[in-house]
Amino acid sequence: MVKPKIKINIKICLACGGCISICPQDALSMISSKAYLEDEKCINCGICIKTCPIGAIKEDKK
Amino acid sequence: MEYDAVVVGGGPAGSVTARFAAESGVKVIILERRTEIGVPVLCGEGISQRVDKWNMLEGTRWIASKMDGAKIFSPDGTMVSLSKEMAGNETGYVVYRDIFDQELARRAARSGADIMLNTEVTGLIKTNGKITGIKARRFDEQFEINANIIVGADGVESKIGKWAGINTVLKPYDLETCAQYTLTNIDYNSNYCEFYIGKKLAPGGYIWIFPKGENTFNVGIGVLASLSDSSLPLKLLNKFISNHNELKNGKSIRLLAGAVPVAKPVETVRDNLLLVGDAARHADSITGGGLTTSLQGGKIAGETIGKAVESHRFDKETLSIYETKWKAVFGTKLIRDYIVKEIMLDFDDKTLNMLADSLKDYKFEEFSTLSLVKALVLKHPTLLMRLKPLLKLTDKSLKKA
Repeated sequence: MVKPKIKINIKICLACGGCISICPQDALSMISSKAYLEDEKCINCGICIKTCPIGAIKEDKK
Repeated sequence: MEYDAVVVGGGPAGSVTARFAAESGVKVIILERRTEIGVPVLCGEGISQRVDKWNMLEGTRWIASKMDGAKIFSPDGTMVSLSKEMAGNETGYVVYRDIFDQELARRAARSGADIMLNTEVTGLIKTNGKITGIKARRFDEQFEINANIIVGADGVESKIGKWAGINTVLKPYDLETCAQYTLTNIDYNSNYCEFYIGKKLAPGGYIWIFPKGENTFNVGIGVLASLSDSSLPLKLLNKFISNHNELKNGKSIRLLAGAVPVAKPVETVRDNLLLVGDAARHADSITGGGLTTSLQGGKIAGETIGKAVESHRFDKETLSIYETKWKAVFGTKLIRDYIVKEIMLDFDDKTLNMLADSLKDYKFEEFSTLSLVKALVLKHPTLLMRLKPLLKLTDKSLKKA
């Protein structure tokens, strides 16, 4: 399994749902009114990073 | 628990669906993931004054201010003004969406609908391939509700359609990613909504200034996701405000992020299942507005559910009355505005400036394709080529009307 490179900062997320609506893998959901990523479904396409209006989703550089 | 219908989502589309279902004698419950209906607000808060005719909202507490028209600014600052006399009943209200949503939920409750807050729907229950209910989580409790009809009113991030096998994934080309401040302490008042367009200002979208009265304004931006980048909407909005004399000294009392589908509507009916509102992609592709279609679609959905429960038939064919009716009421406009969106996205700033310059003195009350063409030809003949696809569309819709 590829190590997921995408990380959601739930301290920034304002729950607009945009990332969930465009994820081609259906890897994102709204859990407790924050975006939540299921790592095993994610293919690291990065569409959600570009879509977040306030920069709550970033590439995990660790 | 047993219900005739479960409505997932307590926004406008969900509440109106539940209300009209309940009024037809349906045992219905609204499940809302948030802990307060309408909060946080996820919207620019504009709605057409056509809503007055629909008897959906009582009183005036939900109205922040009444608009007299709209002003559209092209990239070079040329203003096209649409006054009330010109735009007719298409002028709008700026609303308090929290009160607006709660008012619709209150009407649903008064008609007999149940409401459960803080409830996340985690999946559909299928028995022999047939949808027979939903699984949900509330506080630390997991439970199931059996129902003959499930309504996906779960907004832009909708899962209900996906779980039922409807492809609701949006292309970045079909999503506006948004940010909005509510700014107060602004030494200026207005009864006009303002819209600012331009590739640099808001790629594939626009910036709006909606007056809420009392020196308070919603100032927001939508950027097409395919042209956006991480946090770009917020950065562009901050830049616009700091460059705008009337706004730059305002104090922010609210920040919100939003996402608006600007897509073609999806398939909205399956056996035992309906999609309404943003979940059905029922927002307008030019303006991003989705309140009027949510109210109209919700009413049709609620009445359709009433008939389905009465006849005890929950198959796709029976529920398709909903799809046939919403297509008749606003389906053509949604498709037409999607095509206009695609054409407008090809316009560069120079074209938008020429267009605004041609239209700034145009009398919209005398609107006809011919007079529009005259206005364009007189000032900027080269525009005609660029606008050909738009004019074709106008001709078609005029012939239809």
